[in-house]
Amino acid sequence: MPSRRSVVKGVTVAVAVCLAAAGAGADEPLSLLGGRLRLGGEVSGTIAPEDEGYFNYSDYEVSSLRLFRIDLAAEARLARFASVLLDVRTDNLHEPRVYALYLRLRPWEKREVDLQAGLVPPVFGAFPRRRYAYDNPLPSLPLAYQYLTDLREDAVPARAEELVAQRGRGWLVRYPIGSPEAGPGLPLVSGEKWDTGVELRLGARPWSLALALTQGTLAYPLVRDDNGGKQASGRLAWSPSPAVAVGVSAATGEFLSRQAQAALPDPARAATRRQDALGLDLEWSAGYWILRAEAVWSRWNLPAIDATRIEDPLDALGFYAEARYKLLPGLHLAGRAERLAFSELATVAGRRTWDAPVTRVEAGAGWTPRRHVLLKASWQHNWRDGGRVRESDLVAGQVLLWF
Amino acid sequence: MVLITALAAALLPAVTLSPAPEPRSPGGTIRGRVEVRREGGSGEGRPAVAELGHHGPRVVPDRRRSVVYLEAPPPAAFEAPLPGRGVLYQKNEAFVPFVLAVTVGSTVDFPNSDRIYHNVFSLSKAKRFDLGRYPRGQSRSVRFDQPGVVRVFCEIHSHMSAFILVFAHRYFATTDAEGRYRIEGVPPGDYTLAVWNDGAVRARREVRVGASGDAVELDFAVE
Repeated sequence: MPSRRSVVKGVTVAVAVCLAAAGAGADEPLSLLGGRLRLGGEVSGTIAPEDEGYFNYSDYEVSSLRLFRIDLAAEARLARFASVLLDVRTDNLHEPRVYALYLRLRPWEKREVDLQAGLVPPVFGAFPRRRYAYDNPLPSLPLAYQYLTDLREDAVPARAEELVAQRGRGWLVRYPIGSPEAGPGLPLVSGEKWDTGVELRLGARPWSLALALTQGTLAYPLVRDDNGGKQASGRLAWSPSPAVAVGVSAATGEFLSRQAQAALPDPARAATRRQDALGLDLEWSAGYWILRAEAVWSRWNLPAIDATRIEDPLDALGFYAEARYKLLPGLHLAGRAERLAFSELATVAGRRTWDAPVTRVEAGAGWTPRRHVLLKASWQHNWRDGGRVRESDLVAGQVLLWF
Repeated sequence: MVLITALAAALLPAVTLSPAPEPRSPGGTIRGRVEVRREGGSGEGRPAVAELGHHGPRVVPDRRRSVVYLEAPPPAAFEAPLPGRGVLYQKNEAFVPFVLAVTVGSTVDFPNSDRIYHNVFSLSKAKRFDLGRYPRGQSRSVRFDQPGVVRVFCEIHSHMSAFILVFAHRYFATTDAEGRYRIEGVPPGDYTLAVWNDGAVRARREVRVGASGDAVELDFAVE
């Protein structure tokens, strides 16, 4: 339950955003200081029945289908080659949090060389940079960027049986080593948080390369480092024509917190625990069609402590394919099919996947009655091979205002 | 929005009055200059927070161009509007020109001159259309059958916008780079001359065109 202070803050931000939107004249973002400071924003409300299987939760308390979000973005141009970018969000009127805050530099005007430092957009994959809800044809997020697995960054199981006992329960997981409290698990890649560090982008058409060194991992981005390890990530993109974009990504970083690492018995304490990931993203568009597909493979290494020991790395593969078709001016249809699969490990009961595989299909439509208003509706079906709730049908609606 | 609605009403002719046809005459000329003193928009888009770098060079739309037109033109003006053809380019992530004025029945071409995709669309009551995505060197066309104000946007680039003003008569002119305009062939009579700039009617003046056919000079300063 949000505190009164949080509600007041949230309402204040909401009023500010609405006033800013109204004052923006609806055609351009609010521009101040002679165009040096620009403000933009989004207010979105998404409603759906209670998701009892927690298929759409990106946190124990936050479902992407039951969400009121206010998002305010600002870009301050310090010089021709330097800008500061800021993004602040509040979800369900909770205390606003900084989503992005970084410095962007382009040292040479005519060369595509950009340097960004701070709380920066991820270079891995394609979906996380579709930041505005306007860029997502459906109300939900892809499983690979949202669904909570039964792994945690601050607690680990001692035995394989403890891990598989949490299959399909990633929204609230408890393990004996590390943090004693129950908490939400990790997604493959967090689509709701950005990481802190530096990144470099080099472009030479039709190629583009982005590299980043950040504090956290794909699954658990951080503002302050919690384990002394850094994540290296990168994406190489090829776009031979405006119709086609292909990207390959990779990332590696230490994911286990210092607290959890310290709680491990010797000799497991000495080794580092990493999340390694590879990604492939494709986009094709022409006329009234946009087709997108993305695959994310992630591997975590857990310590092998007690029997049955977790000897094998824990692999997960997320895949989605998405299509959007414009039926009429202002009206689009969209669909997404996706799958999240997990590798097997040995337990006393035989080989089991370390988390319950999930399949989701979603179909929906979006209608833009006015330029700055987007209404979305969708139907979503989820299947899961484990957990208390194994199937779920959800109908969702979303109202989105932006400026 | 109120101003745009008022402009739309002005563009819609009172054709239901069925005025008696007037003989065509060479008519007079109204000319002058529009000085735009107001600051236009920046032409910039939403903060590009999710981008991995700066965007490339863009053309800043020339928002100083105005359209000067007769609000209540002679009834005969509506008898036979002359459809024409206009072009609205997509160039360096901007629509060029920022404002285009055409008569009802005219067709406007939308060539893409950029290496990237654009997706031209409008949700205006006067014309709803969506041209989809097409690459450089290709063009799509739209015929405008109703008078009114048509706001044109790019779905991919939020900073791209333009206006198409569709008139039911021919008594209008777009100002040149120096702000000059010239409306010719105006029959003798008393009229209201309106100046539209950057989304709204900014000024109105009464004007009398004499039977002599002499040119009438009328300058405007738009705040």
